[in-house]
Amino acid sequence: MAAVQPNLSKMISAQLRNKANEFLNSRKHANNLADILQMFEAETENYTPLLLTIEVIFTELLKRGDLIQHIVPLKPIDHSPEAEYTRWLCECYEAAIVRALECMRRGKTSSRLQALVTACKLLQAEGKHPLEQTTGYFFPSVRLKNIFLVLLDSETSMSAPITRFQEFTEYRDMQQHGLKVLAALAFRKSPSPIYMQNFLELLDKLLAAKIPLDNKGKGKDRDIEENEMKVLCASEGKPNFPYNPAVCRRFANRCWSFACQWPLCEEPRTHRRALLLLVERLMPLLNRPHLATDMLCDSLDAGGPISMLALQGVLELVRHHNIDYPDMYDRLYAMFEPEMFATRYKKRLMHLTDIFLSSTHLPESLVAAFAKRMSRLALVGSPEDSKGLLQLVANLLLRHPALKRMICCEDTPAIMSNDPYVMEESSAARARALGSSLWEVRALRGHWAPAVAAAAARVLAAAERDPPQSLALEEDSALFDAELKKRFKTIEVNFIRPQTMALPSGERLLQYWELTA
Amino acid sequence: MAKVKNKRNAGLADRVHNKKKAEANKKKLNPFEVHINKEKLKVLGKKSKHDRGLPGVARAKAIQKRKETLGTEMKLINKTNTFIDRRIGEKNNQISAEDRMIARFAAERVKQHSKKSIYNLADDEILTHRGQTLEQIEKFDDPKSSDDEDEDKQFGGLDNDFVSEGHFGGGVLSKAESKDGAKSHKDLIEQLIAESKKRKAEKQKEKEQTLDLTEKLDSEWKDLQPVVFKKQKVQEESLIDKLLSKAEKGQDYDRMMRELRFEKRGTPSDGLKSKEKQDEEERKKIEELERQRELRMISEEDVTAPKNAKTPKHRSADDLDDNFELEDEKEFMLAYDKDGKPLVPEHVLKDYSVPNSKKIFEDGVSDTSEEEGEEESDEDDIKAEKDENTDEKSEVNKSEDSDEETSDESESEQETEKRNEKVTTKKSIKNLNESTGLKRKHSSNSDEDAASRIDSNKKSTVNSYIEKESLHTSESKIIKLNSSNDDKNMSDDDDDDEDEDEESSDDSKDGSDDDTNLNNLNDLKGTDESDEFDDIEDSDEKIGSFFELKSVEGDKLKELLTGKTPSQHTIALQKLIKSYDPGLSVNNKELLSRLFAHLLQYTHDVFSNISEEGEIIKSFLIFDRLVPFFYDLIHINKVSTKKFLVELLKEKYDAYKRNTKKVPDLNTLIFFKLVSSLYPTSDFRHPVVTPSLIFMSDILTLARFTDAYSVSRGFFIVSLILEYTVLSKRYVPAAVNFLRGVIFLCANTCVLNPVQVVPPFRLHKSAKILILERDCSKMTAERKMAAKDLAATEIDDSLKIRCLLTAMLMLKEFFDNYIEIEALEAIFEPHIQLLRRVDLDLYPKKVSKKISEVLTYMKQTLEVKTYTQMSREKVKPKALRLYEPDIQDVFTGSKSSKLSKENADRARLQGKYKKEMKGALREIRRDKAYIASVKIRQKIQSDNVRKDKVKQIYKDASIQQGELNKLKRMK
Repeated sequence: MAAVQPNLSKMISAQLRNKANEFLNSRKHANNLADILQMFEAETENYTPLLLTIEVIFTELLKRGDLIQHIVPLKPIDHSPEAEYTRWLCECYEAAIVRALECMRRGKTSSRLQALVTACKLLQAEGKHPLEQTTGYFFPSVRLKNIFLVLLDSETSMSAPITRFQEFTEYRDMQQHGLKVLAALAFRKSPSPIYMQNFLELLDKLLAAKIPLDNKGKGKDRDIEENEMKVLCASEGKPNFPYNPAVCRRFANRCWSFACQWPLCEEPRTHRRALLLLVERLMPLLNRPHLATDMLCDSLDAGGPISMLALQGVLELVRHHNIDYPDMYDRLYAMFEPEMFATRYKKRLMHLTDIFLSSTHLPESLVAAFAKRMSRLALVGSPEDSKGLLQLVANLLLRHPALKRMICCEDTPAIMSNDPYVMEESSAARARALGSSLWEVRALRGHWAPAVAAAAARVLAAAERDPPQSLALEEDSALFDAELKKRFKTIEVNFIRPQTMALPSGERLLQYWELTA
Repeated sequence: MAKVKNKRNAGLADRVHNKKKAEANKKKLNPFEVHINKEKLKVLGKKSKHDRGLPGVARAKAIQKRKETLGTEMKLINKTNTFIDRRIGEKNNQISAEDRMIARFAAERVKQHSKKSIYNLADDEILTHRGQTLEQIEKFDDPKSSDDEDEDKQFGGLDNDFVSEGHFGGGVLSKAESKDGAKSHKDLIEQLIAESKKRKAEKQKEKEQTLDLTEKLDSEWKDLQPVVFKKQKVQEESLIDKLLSKAEKGQDYDRMMRELRFEKRGTPSDGLKSKEKQDEEERKKIEELERQRELRMISEEDVTAPKNAKTPKHRSADDLDDNFELEDEKEFMLAYDKDGKPLVPEHVLKDYSVPNSKKIFEDGVSDTSEEEGEEESDEDDIKAEKDENTDEKSEVNKSEDSDEETSDESESEQETEKRNEKVTTKKSIKNLNESTGLKRKHSSNSDEDAASRIDSNKKSTVNSYIEKESLHTSESKIIKLNSSNDDKNMSDDDDDDEDEDEESSDDSKDGSDDDTNLNNLNDLKGTDESDEFDDIEDSDEKIGSFFELKSVEGDKLKELLTGKTPSQHTIALQKLIKSYDPGLSVNNKELLSRLFAHLLQYTHDVFSNISEEGEIIKSFLIFDRLVPFFYDLIHINKVSTKKFLVELLKEKYDAYKRNTKKVPDLNTLIFFKLVSSLYPTSDFRHPVVTPSLIFMSDILTLARFTDAYSVSRGFFIVSLILEYTVLSKRYVPAAVNFLRGVIFLCANTCVLNPVQVVPPFRLHKSAKILILERDCSKMTAERKMAAKDLAATEIDDSLKIRCLLTAMLMLKEFFDNYIEIEALEAIFEPHIQLLRRVDLDLYPKKVSKKISEVLTYMKQTLEVKTYTQMSREKVKPKALRLYEPDIQDVFTGSKSSKLSKENADRARLQGKYKKEMKGALREIRRDKAYIASVKIRQKIQSDNVRKDKVKQIYKDASIQQGELNKLKRMK
């Protein structure tokens, strides 16, 4: 089946290419276009060749200007064959676009993606060669609106096409007009969760290219930026696209103002998506970010990954908008649970914690509790996580010299019957960590992974004042690859020949397993 | 008193008087004699000797000196004799005449007593004559020579009377007496001559006689000699005779013997060691290696840390050894420009600022795809499906392109391969035809290959596959198709397996073949060795041609080993390795490392696709036999075998990473065991062991343990981790967490009172698959996990019991390993809490007893554990450094201090020489002047004398003349 299919599709695409060429070469084969459009109905799964064909055809037509109708006002409609033909072509064009948009909803993922690309390419072609004669910059917003209408589906998740759409949002005009169109589309009373997802994702992608913050930047910089700016529908000989960050921000704000009226927090997925969007993209753009405080605070209470995400937003608010948040550190403290290892956002959490705890005005007991808790967690984490946590602890020790008593007590060390630190205490300041020591780090000194052992050694040597290092968190499989890349002078091997599977000494597998009987 | 005082006063007066006298005696400096040398530059603190001089005095001294030296010499000039006065004290005019006499007398006496003992004459002297002691000479070597002297001593041997008469006779008185004898002088002389002649003749005769006698004695002695030493001589002669005769008899034998005798008899070496000695050496060697292993256990950082402490270049003499460093960095003042930006160098600012707050995380903004992976499994399904769809589609797109490429590649590959094959086809086909049916299949397969090569390129993808597998073309085709189509069924376990196998090893088919074989052979385990040898014999030729064709080595190995009992494996491999011993040929080392790779592949195959208990046991039995050979092979070529093993691990790891939730099967896990038996697992860092530990830890942290399959394999891994860390006692959180999770799965936890667990186990989501629901206290429990647990598909009660028991035993072992760690409680407290919730009553008595034993042990140990705050070791205060004085060369005053030492010395010496030369020249000049002055004085003196004499003569002459004139006048 699979072997046959590619051949078939190859054949079809070759055929289609021929047809398209014929059509483009002479008007004799005008019917080919109709045929091609007809074929959309026959196909059910893979529209890719068809979409490619219509893309080729109409891009070419637009370039040639065949689609331009010369309508003279106050004159009866021209019925010359030429005009008729043009009109017919225009109809076909509209039909093709409708087809392409339909294809975005149907069929295989690859063909859906292709449909989106085709629609965008056509939009680009039309922007470059508008259907009506214009002098200035032209952007076919209507087409974009149609595309967005498809993307903002209420029933099906459009994440794949939207992800693909990102390659177009790099263009500044697309971004600006996209935000404008989206703001116009946004208002809706009670959207479905999927719609919200799609909306948020689309907004996210539209904001992927950073919008410059200060409006009145230096003139030179702006010029350079304009020269380097990527514009989708730019054509030579026409004025440049007037990119206006302020407008962009206004529309982004409007989009969000609609979105935040929706019940975003009801479903965790949407909630997370919204938080991510807010934290990563929107925060700097918002006019009144403190309006998001409520949402962030609610999210922070939600627990789990959601609160980790909200933490970043809260940090932003605290740092730049003078928001005072009660029990901030206790909440942060509560996030350090073994469950954090399973979440995707653990690296973000560690990074944020590093920032949070970089303040030198924090009470020692609180920071000590954090250090203690992190080292406890490092005891159970995977090597990568342990390494990150240990780095964090090292930074704490460096930034807060008072914590040094946790690794090297100056007074004569007292012998205690148990660890004074109370792991269960929810308030960091009351966990009595200052009386304790970082025995966990010493235990990690004997960790099996050389990298972790080295990190633990670094913590213990934190008395030497290196500047605190930024957390370099690795990918999970990096450790394995790094280990393979290490060069060794010699390859040590065992020196006692085993007679069987069992080791001459220290056999454990067969101690617990009865494998050979 | 008064007297005393008086005395003192008198003394004082004397002293004053003496002093005055002395001052008077002291030469008064005549101010006119003093000459003051003018000083051009005054140098402070410099002592000058030459600031003033007494030229007159100095000149007089010099002249006096010359008079004593040069003057006397001049006096003696042209005189051959010298008069040396050796009288004692004669020249020393400080000694008085009396003293002189006494000294002379004393010397005389000493001279008399210089002999040590007058009565003991020459007793200790060894007299020598011409270097020989007299004793040596007294051996009478030459008796002839000694006679002459004593005879000829006096007056040519004439007797005393004759001499006294003849020589000193005469005289009137005696003559008168002797007249009676009436012998004339002439007669006397004649008598004398005759007498002496007669004596001479007598002497001659006597001499000859003695000579004759000695000669006679000698000859007689010679005759006697053989009689005296007869015995020895005879023997010697006979030996020699024998040799000679023998030499004549057998020349060749003799030559051979001599050759043998002079041939090199092998280098001397250590004597053969006794068994005990060998054992002893072996033991020592192993001890040494053990010691090295223990060294390697410590991290390099620890070892090198003291060495790395770098010493500052310069240390001041005031350095207190407190590592205080003068900071060169300038302090900066924090200032801001008008925009409010700090005016501080950037790196400084960076050091003091908070970490970069805006950081890009790639953890889920863009891809919604896997986001939910971890958190919500219910949502997972829809989502994952979609993703897979998208993935798949893009994949298909790609594969369309890539297929074409690969087909091209494989074509070319094939072509080259074919060329190779052509060369060896005849041989290989012969080989193949001879042997088993399997081989025949192979050959037909290769024929097919040849055919396919000719007909089309379309098949090429399939063909490339054939090449790899070289078995079952059609079937592999099917698999290929399956693999491309069945992506949707990824979640399905069976398909998954197949996929994995194909990707990792491309031998799944063989694996299944093995399966059937193994099934048949299950019973063969205990068969006799005798028929095994028969089997082996026919495999000999296979061994002979094992490495002939590179591409089929793997298959050959498989042929060699499949369908044999484990002990036959041993024999076959032994033979194979022996026949390719690296000592025999240079290539063998490489060949054997290739064999290692094939053995790895074989092991993989043996452990692939086994699902029954019997198969598992069988596989382990085979593996059991293979391990020693793996050991041998890595010792032959450490580098390449390590490379093979690491590549294999990498491949497996990548395969695992594709689906981290699924625990890899035994065909992966078995290699961890292999690693532990080949490499030292205790090293701090090891090229093979560390990656495999990472792999295992990753499995335990990422995989999901939700069924019998995964849990049993989890236990397998944990026991291996125990084995890895048994010596180093390193801390492995993943294993401890796994045990925690397992106990959690066994325990009753309610939502209200949760006990923390660590991922991959999750508090409210992991199904309690190991919890015991009915009372099993009557059941008998097995002690160990068994092979059947690896094959189990459902979790029955006995498995649950065994899991908990094993978990407890392992936990105890971990606990014991980490007992030194202070944070022990933090590590094991959750386990204890969880164990409290396990309903022990349901478990068999023995098991519950064992568990509670371990539990109480752990509790007690933790209770006893004390905590001491971490502190540094107190460092001893360092003593102040004492520095050696810096001794430098003395400043010699030479300007050219830049010169090298030799040159400087040379220059200094030259300067000195010049100075001396100058001084000497001046002295000579003055000597000359002195000599001249002496000479002129002599000349003047002699002139004066002459003048006086002339005057005298004139005077005499004038007187004479006057008298003559007077006489004339008188006339």
